[in-house]
Amino acid sequence: MNTLVPAIGFGIVTASILAVAGVGFTLQFGVTNILNLAYGDTMTAAAFVAYLVTRAGISVWLALVAGAAFGAVFSVLLNRGIYTPFVRHGTRLFGMIIVTIAISLILQNGLLAGFGANFFSLTMARPSSVHIAGMVFTTVQLAIIAIAVVAMLLIHVLLRYTKLGKAMRATATDPELARNCGIATDRVIDLAWAISGALCGLAGVILVMNVTAFTDTTGSQFLIPIVAVAVLGGIGQPYGAMLGALVIGIASELAAAIISPDYKDVVAFVILVIVLLARPQGILSEIATRKEVAA
Amino acid sequence: MSVAWQFYISTVLIYLGVDVIACWGLNLQFGVAGLVNFAYIIFQAAGAYTASVLTLGPAKPARLGGFQQYIGGAHWPFPLPILAAGLVGGLLAAVVGGFAIRRLRSDYEAMVMLVVSLIATSVATNQVGLVNGPNGLALVPKPLATLVNLSPIGYQWLFAGLTVVVAASVYWLVHVVTSSPLGRTLRAVRDNEQAAAALGKNVTGLRMLAFVLGGVIAGVSGAILVEFISAWSPGSWLYPETFVYFTAVIVGGSGNNFGVMVGALLVPVAFLEATRFVPQFGPPGLIDALQWIIVGVLALVFLWFWPRGVIPERRRRFPAAGEAGVRRSLLRMGSGR
Repeated sequence: MNTLVPAIGFGIVTASILAVAGVGFTLQFGVTNILNLAYGDTMTAAAFVAYLVTRAGISVWLALVAGAAFGAVFSVLLNRGIYTPFVRHGTRLFGMIIVTIAISLILQNGLLAGFGANFFSLTMARPSSVHIAGMVFTTVQLAIIAIAVVAMLLIHVLLRYTKLGKAMRATATDPELARNCGIATDRVIDLAWAISGALCGLAGVILVMNVTAFTDTTGSQFLIPIVAVAVLGGIGQPYGAMLGALVIGIASELAAAIISPDYKDVVAFVILVIVLLARPQGILSEIATRKEVAA
Repeated sequence: MSVAWQFYISTVLIYLGVDVIACWGLNLQFGVAGLVNFAYIIFQAAGAYTASVLTLGPAKPARLGGFQQYIGGAHWPFPLPILAAGLVGGLLAAVVGGFAIRRLRSDYEAMVMLVVSLIATSVATNQVGLVNGPNGLALVPKPLATLVNLSPIGYQWLFAGLTVVVAASVYWLVHVVTSSPLGRTLRAVRDNEQAAAALGKNVTGLRMLAFVLGGVIAGVSGAILVEFISAWSPGSWLYPETFVYFTAVIVGGSGNNFGVMVGALLVPVAFLEATRFVPQFGPPGLIDALQWIIVGVLALVFLWFWPRGVIPERRRRFPAAGEAGVRRSLLRMGSGR
């Protein structure tokens, strides 16, 4: 019991980061149907942007904004410059996997070549710790939870109460029908990449705020739990991803406390494999099956 | 030819052999049967671990000077560890294929396999008693080294010859499979699963067969590799290595055994192995990073310009039998029989 309550606390922090990253991932995947395996490396790149900003003596809060802005711009450019041209060129599902892995490797090793194989950390004020109901949080972790909650509320408002959100949901469900209804799907897709990219950048920065040191592989190591969150929640379902983040975040921290910290990620791996294999209709959901392309 | 050159050439030849064998196995799964196995490298790893453990002998406890722990150590004579590696690769493929080969979109299938690869790395790293954890196995004895009395360079050529023999046997196997009716059926399953199933083909069984055969071949390639480099650890088989083999198959010409051999020559050997002998420049790790960037760019360039590879799969036509058959049946219909 003594180890479980603090583990739940860690779980909530992990879940917050996963929620931001997972909602961004699922939004983009749902709208564009591209499984972007370079997502984790985009997070790392945003973390490095934040690193450069804090090293220039600017506060970590502005670094968060810079990271999110970088993520948004980079993702839109990545889609416009590489992914969409490949899709128009006739590259199918498997080919797109190769394309996104290639981008992931190029990005990760580009960062490695540029920054070197070192450990990096954001410069910020030493946080104090706060005890809440047997769980210990640092002030940074409380800030991360708050950022995640605010981001999720904003996404909720965007999807439910704005025209753009409606257009996005329509494009995710049936792009052709959406286009026929007069929705500028190309612009919606651009905006989906931008919003997803902003969440991705934000997640990258809060991820490295929560660890003592990060490297060029920090983001890509976080990719599979993110995909697990998106798949568990149902691809293209932001609310599902929020729930998935809570389940996987807490489950992996509990596994770390009960079994061994080495197997923290394995929980997410196993959940992902089981969901993919046992309930493909659940993941493919109505959205993905309708858009299904022959492999 | 100076001894240094002979070492260089025989070493590259052995790496080429290993990569060509591995690419043929992957081509059987992906190019011929259309299976997106992003865990391919774990079957090579399983073969390598099997061959190591079966030549290292029983693990010694630390108090007797043993420095690595593993299960099932034995001193098997030369060809047996390699054959056992193929067997284990095939068995592992049967297990993984048993739960992972489903009718999934190929990007989801790739995802499942990627995760299987990560789980395998995690288990091999964290279960130290299994295959010595993150440090891996080292000092694997070279096959026949104690039996033949050769100079180091003579042994290099012996090993290169051995690799060529194994590669030739594997080529024979994949050639028999791809040029037989079985190969035709596998391609039919790849190109149109529903149509193949409608013609009464056991689609799942056929995909499983290709998956297991690919696993056997990957296991053998791992055995040859580890007997040559005599060390193997989780760092040798991280999932991006599978990406290198996929790039090789795509660059060479997926579905074409000869093209895949050319791809294996161009990608893993030219970019990853041969550059090991290039003088280092920049900070440590820079060359590795640049190699990965080059492999990534190469994959993108080929998918854009030559998605079918340098030597594309030959378009197979069956005009004589088909047209004659159709004409005959039309005639039969015409004559009212």
